[in-house]
Amino acid sequence: MISSDPSKVTAICFDRINIPNMHILDVAKKYGAYAFLPTVLQEMDGPKIISEVKTSGLRGRGGAGFPTGLKWSFVPRNTNKPTYLLCNADEGEPGTFKDRDLLRLDPHLLIEGMIMAGFALNVRDAYIYIRGEFLHEANVINAAIAEAYAAGLLGERILGTNYSLDLTVHRGAGAYICGEETALIESLEGRAGRPRFKPPFPAVEGFYQSPTVVNNVESLTTIPAILEHGGNWHSQIGVPNSTGMKIFSVSGHVNKPGNYEVPMGMPLHVLIEEYCGGLQHGDVPKVIIPGGSSTPWLGPEHYDVPMAYDELHKAGSMLGSGAVIIMDETADVVAITRRLSHFYAHESCGQCTPCREGTGWLERVMLRLEAGRCNAQDLVVLEEASRHMDGRTICALAAGAAAPILSLLKMFPDEVRSYLTESKVGGG
Amino acid sequence: MTTLFINDQEVSVPANTSILEACRQHDVDVPYFCYHPELKVAANCRMCLVEIEMNGKRLPNPVASCCTPVNEGMKVRTQTDMLKKDRKMIMEYLLIHHPLDCPVCDQGGDCKLQDYTMEHSTSHGRYLEPKRRTEDKNLGPFVSTCMTRCIHCTRCVRFAEEVSGTGDMGVLNRGDHMRIDSIVEGCLSSELSGNLAELCPVGALLDKPSNNQSRPWELTRHHSTCTQCPQGCDIIIESRDDEVIRIKHDPNGAEAWICDRGRFVYDAFRSNDRLLSPRIAGNDTDWATAIKKSVGILKGKRVGIIFSPFWSVEGLTAIRLMHDAVMHDAQVAFDLHRRDIRAFAFEEGMAMSSAAIEAADEVVILGSDLRQRLPMLMQRLRRRVNKGQTLTRIGAMNYRTNTKLNKDALIRPRDWPAVIASAMQQLMGINKGATGMEAWLKNITDRHEAGKLLADALLADSCALLVGEEIRAHDDAAALIHGIDLLMRATGHGEAGSDGRNLIPEGMNASVLSAVFGDVRVSAGDLLQAAERGELDALMLIGSDPLGDGLFPMEARRVLGKIPLVQVGAIAGEIAKFADVQLPAASYAEVDGTFINMEGVVRMADKPLRSLGEERPLWKVMMRLTDAMGASKTPVVSLPELRTEATRFLPSLADVFAGKIDANWRMPVARNKHATVLPVNVRPVMALDIVSRFSLYREGAWARASALLCEAGKLFCMADVLVHPQTLKDLGLDEGACVIRTASGEYTHHIGVRDDVAQGVLFIAKRGAAGDLSSESVANMRRV
Amino acid sequence: MSTTVDTTQMSAVAFSAQQQEDIRALVTRYPQPLSALLPVLHMAQQHFGYLPMNVQQLVADTLNVTLMQVREVVTFYTMFKEQPTGTYLMEVCTNVSCMLNGAVELLDHMCNTLGIQPGETTPDGLFTLAEVECAGACGSAPVVQVNNIYHEKVTAETMDALITNIQTGAETGGVA
Ligand SMILES: Cc1cc2nc3c(=O)[nH]c(=O)nc-3n(C[C@H](O)[C@H](O)[C@H](O)COP(=O)(O)O)c2cc1C
Ligand code: SF4
Ligand code: FES
Repeated sequence: MISSDPSKVTAICFDRINIPNMHILDVAKKYGAYAFLPTVLQEMDGPKIISEVKTSGLRGRGGAGFPTGLKWSFVPRNTNKPTYLLCNADEGEPGTFKDRDLLRLDPHLLIEGMIMAGFALNVRDAYIYIRGEFLHEANVINAAIAEAYAAGLLGERILGTNYSLDLTVHRGAGAYICGEETALIESLEGRAGRPRFKPPFPAVEGFYQSPTVVNNVESLTTIPAILEHGGNWHSQIGVPNSTGMKIFSVSGHVNKPGNYEVPMGMPLHVLIEEYCGGLQHGDVPKVIIPGGSSTPWLGPEHYDVPMAYDELHKAGSMLGSGAVIIMDETADVVAITRRLSHFYAHESCGQCTPCREGTGWLERVMLRLEAGRCNAQDLVVLEEASRHMDGRTICALAAGAAAPILSLLKMFPDEVRSYLTESKVGGG
Repeated sequence: MTTLFINDQEVSVPANTSILEACRQHDVDVPYFCYHPELKVAANCRMCLVEIEMNGKRLPNPVASCCTPVNEGMKVRTQTDMLKKDRKMIMEYLLIHHPLDCPVCDQGGDCKLQDYTMEHSTSHGRYLEPKRRTEDKNLGPFVSTCMTRCIHCTRCVRFAEEVSGTGDMGVLNRGDHMRIDSIVEGCLSSELSGNLAELCPVGALLDKPSNNQSRPWELTRHHSTCTQCPQGCDIIIESRDDEVIRIKHDPNGAEAWICDRGRFVYDAFRSNDRLLSPRIAGNDTDWATAIKKSVGILKGKRVGIIFSPFWSVEGLTAIRLMHDAVMHDAQVAFDLHRRDIRAFAFEEGMAMSSAAIEAADEVVILGSDLRQRLPMLMQRLRRRVNKGQTLTRIGAMNYRTNTKLNKDALIRPRDWPAVIASAMQQLMGINKGATGMEAWLKNITDRHEAGKLLADALLADSCALLVGEEIRAHDDAAALIHGIDLLMRATGHGEAGSDGRNLIPEGMNASVLSAVFGDVRVSAGDLLQAAERGELDALMLIGSDPLGDGLFPMEARRVLGKIPLVQVGAIAGEIAKFADVQLPAASYAEVDGTFINMEGVVRMADKPLRSLGEERPLWKVMMRLTDAMGASKTPVVSLPELRTEATRFLPSLADVFAGKIDANWRMPVARNKHATVLPVNVRPVMALDIVSRFSLYREGAWARASALLCEAGKLFCMADVLVHPQTLKDLGLDEGACVIRTASGEYTHHIGVRDDVAQGVLFIAKRGAAGDLSSESVANMRRV
Repeated sequence: MSTTVDTTQMSAVAFSAQQQEDIRALVTRYPQPLSALLPVLHMAQQHFGYLPMNVQQLVADTLNVTLMQVREVVTFYTMFKEQPTGTYLMEVCTNVSCMLNGAVELLDHMCNTLGIQPGETTPDGLFTLAEVECAGACGSAPVVQVNNIYHEKVTAETMDALITNIQTGAETGGVA
């Protein structure tokens, strides 16, 4: 049970995660699922819920960290268009694997969160956009939705109230970019997932030109606790501006990789040493990627950085999706960067010139660098092209593609130089 | 309005304008590739970056100006060091895979990529890796591809989706494997395909017919008016010396595109079908001899004159002047597509502008293949539908519109009275009758449910009716049009201000034709029949080809070759075989002339092409003939004099010629309020109604003289004659050869089936093969 | 390879009555039928094994969209296959977390065991090997998906055992 004393909270989203068979409705109910839902539907209304979520300080857990309550408040009312709620379960950012556990182990928490969010936003149809590879997870959540329908928790007049909601699982088909919210909308409309430029923002014109809210799985699974215990309660967990708990997906060179839900602001080394069993080799990491592969790298000097939005920003990176990738001294940073360049080149949707041409170019130069066929001039290309990709495209993928290369060049100039050929000719 | 600062200059633009549009409107140069004012914004090239400052804060990164709306007080900078670097970098990206083949590329000299390379790029790129491989496409007769040059701006894809409505271009794959692709091998199924070459900012999609013929800097540009349909688009004729190299859309014109007919007809200018010198019995001769011979044929004779409606105002006036001076007994006809010559309650032409039609609450197409007839108007209607507005159609064939129709009814031509009657009845039922309806309804007992679509549309605040060829060509057309006029008046759409009566004319200058020839015109069919009966001694065809066009090919066939014939025109065509004398007249590109399109928009062509041979402007030919025929006085000897004469028929032209009208002036469509023609209740004795197709690739002497259009006509043809499968079943027949019996005889044709055709309609899809049937309006059919 | 489609050369394929019923139900879940394109393509791929042009045309006709719209989608998403794959599609994640935990070595090992390179299919048509992007299970790297069933913390030994089991028919690895 989640403690109503904020200082005693040990988990929010993962509160029931280790209980066997939690995906079965009866089990979930036994442990409190949907218990508070009638109160929400009967005693709260949209403005009240949105105000609680605002008070809670919850920031989107999908990567951008946008305040959830604020996003909800942007949805125009009385447009005579329907409002849609889309759950972003695309989980494609390398290093991130938290939503998968929420989906397959405690699907009813997400469903409950979506009913509450849907109620707050007056949504009639909601969708869970789940990455196509998560076939098992899609089956689990579909089974849970079927149980919820049968129990009157979804569909017409939920629990006898006036609120009705239909929830549909929509599988992607292998495209990282569909995690970007407007690409997700395009994909859900049956097209290639190419992001839309903004404005208009989805909150005003999203799915089929209607007001649309896109929220990450983790954001939505936080809602039931916020409504039950109050926004104020949530705002006292964590640190200012980064409230609540956060699931960190820790992977790479640690002894116990996995998902750990801890209060925001926990110093990184505490997370690694106390929860993840420490590094595989050595005492300090060679590279810390704090928020998924698109976030800039940090070095060992930041091993004690508090895992919170502002602090990570100050350190030169971002909290992102909370995917912490740790590399120890054995890591071949050039090879890793080359591999990430391949990822972005493979996943670029192809519409923006800098991203389409730049990601492919960067990958080819990185391949050449790794093969020892680059000269100093090529490094200038790497740097200039990467810099130009940041903040000049429709979505942030291009910036994500630039981040590893810029980090590599900044943090490991000597190591990079050791890959250069003596010859002054470029290569080809 | 929103006020902002562009490079410190204060400007005001409507709210929500994009920064790029604001810059364009104020002549501030911002480079771009993917933006196109007529297409949805894609914002993918990222060339249009600008720096902005809002509330005193400079944004750290530049923004794409094409997709960023202006904001009050915003400060925009288009020339900064950061932008210079950014543009250089974008150019470098775009040139990564682009070949260095400007010297052999047709786009060279007129290429955004080339221009911007000079302006924004460095001389050499740093990309050393392998280049992308691409595959070229066969996009049919008009567009050639060189996909290595593609910069993925997706203009063509958006065009195919939004403008042509064909959706046959798309974006495949992603990342730098992304490529533009088409779905069909062999042809783009669009009558607007030629625009793709103009649209493509680089040399990836090129004009196939003119490929490798010239370089932009060798060409002279002539502003002109296309006379290939009543729309009369502004065009630019590009010539090298006096040879027409291609026709392009005029960027300053009223429409954003031109159709393939208007564009690719250009090869007719130098085809063997051009009539470039006077001829007698097919042999070149000099003007004097030819004129003398003509006089011999015409003078003192009972003459029938059929002319094409596409001549300029000056040409048409000259025909009338000749008629009045030396041939006032001659019968005159010009419309090969109208059987009923009684006055129509509203004359041919559009009461509404294209823009007003596009914006109307309701638009109803009544019996017209609008995509073939008026491709530009159809394109506007498509845009209207894309915006979510309605479009209704009633007609004999489910003509492809490449857009979604909200309401659609297939009817036979003989159902029109019942359709109009039921609309009248519905309106009268809600007290929206008009005096005259009772009388009109008296004879018509049948009712057709499609009338509801019509009546419902009429109840809207603004409603545009587009009355098409199926009604114009109807045996009882004047009565139908009177009926429609009553409907419009009953619902308040009959008067200036909310007038929705648009009768799609057969040619340009429709308003001129009724004004200049209203009192003397006869039906072309009657004229030809009179000739057959021996009531005429000679024929004069001025640009008209009754064998190839219109509703009287059989009548023409029976007469031509048996009666002395003088042909005047720019295209010789099939008529040449029967002509005793041929007098060459200059084409529309070769004259100073005035053209008034279906909307009443006046265009004056100047800077004409020089003549290729000995042809003269039509008016000069007419005057010379008038002289030679022994007129006491040549009616006019100069263009100004001729124009003064023209104002006798159309007084409002005086202001036009005096240059006193503003750009928005339109010549109003004439009304015949007293043309109260009541329908006759005839029940055709034959089972099937004949409807013949108008193909923009085949109709008109010019199109038939164009090898390019002929080739496209072959690609886009259907079976010769089409019927609905149920029609065949009802008649106990199968697909294949059948005998068609009409009042004039029996013909064996191959019959195809298509459920696009209204039941009970015999659709003449290929007039070249089955054209003679067009002379009839009803038929029966049986097994061979 | 020419990618332009000659629709006249395509043989007819069809959805069963049950599938058509399922598609109709699916379409009702969305504001517009085009939204059902991805699910219907998943269904078609499940049924036909891959998505050759005639199947794409079938999907286009079923949802009343153009073939181009279907092709744009099929070629954009990596899970949709225009070419047939082996009975077992072995997808090895080599992205950063898996790479840090031996995925590249594992992939090499599988290449040796199966005698094929990534992108290839074994001659018996049993296995197709592919290198893929992050599977979203980085905490148990390295990860191999076999017909979309996740195998986590895979070692050379566990992989060899899995392959042998499949070859001997002891393991169906997600194939019904
Ligand atoms: C390239 C790219 C990939 C993204 N992938 C994901 C993703 O897999 N899951 C996710 O929840 N958000 C992803 N996002 C962030 C979403 O665009 C969006 O911000 C988020 O779903 C909003 O939900 P939240 O406010 O609850 O975080 C991605 C963004 C970008 C630019
Ligand atoms: S930045 Fe890249 S992934 Fe994002 S929209 Fe542009 S091309 Fe697509
Ligand atoms: S014109 Fe703005 S991005 Fe292309």
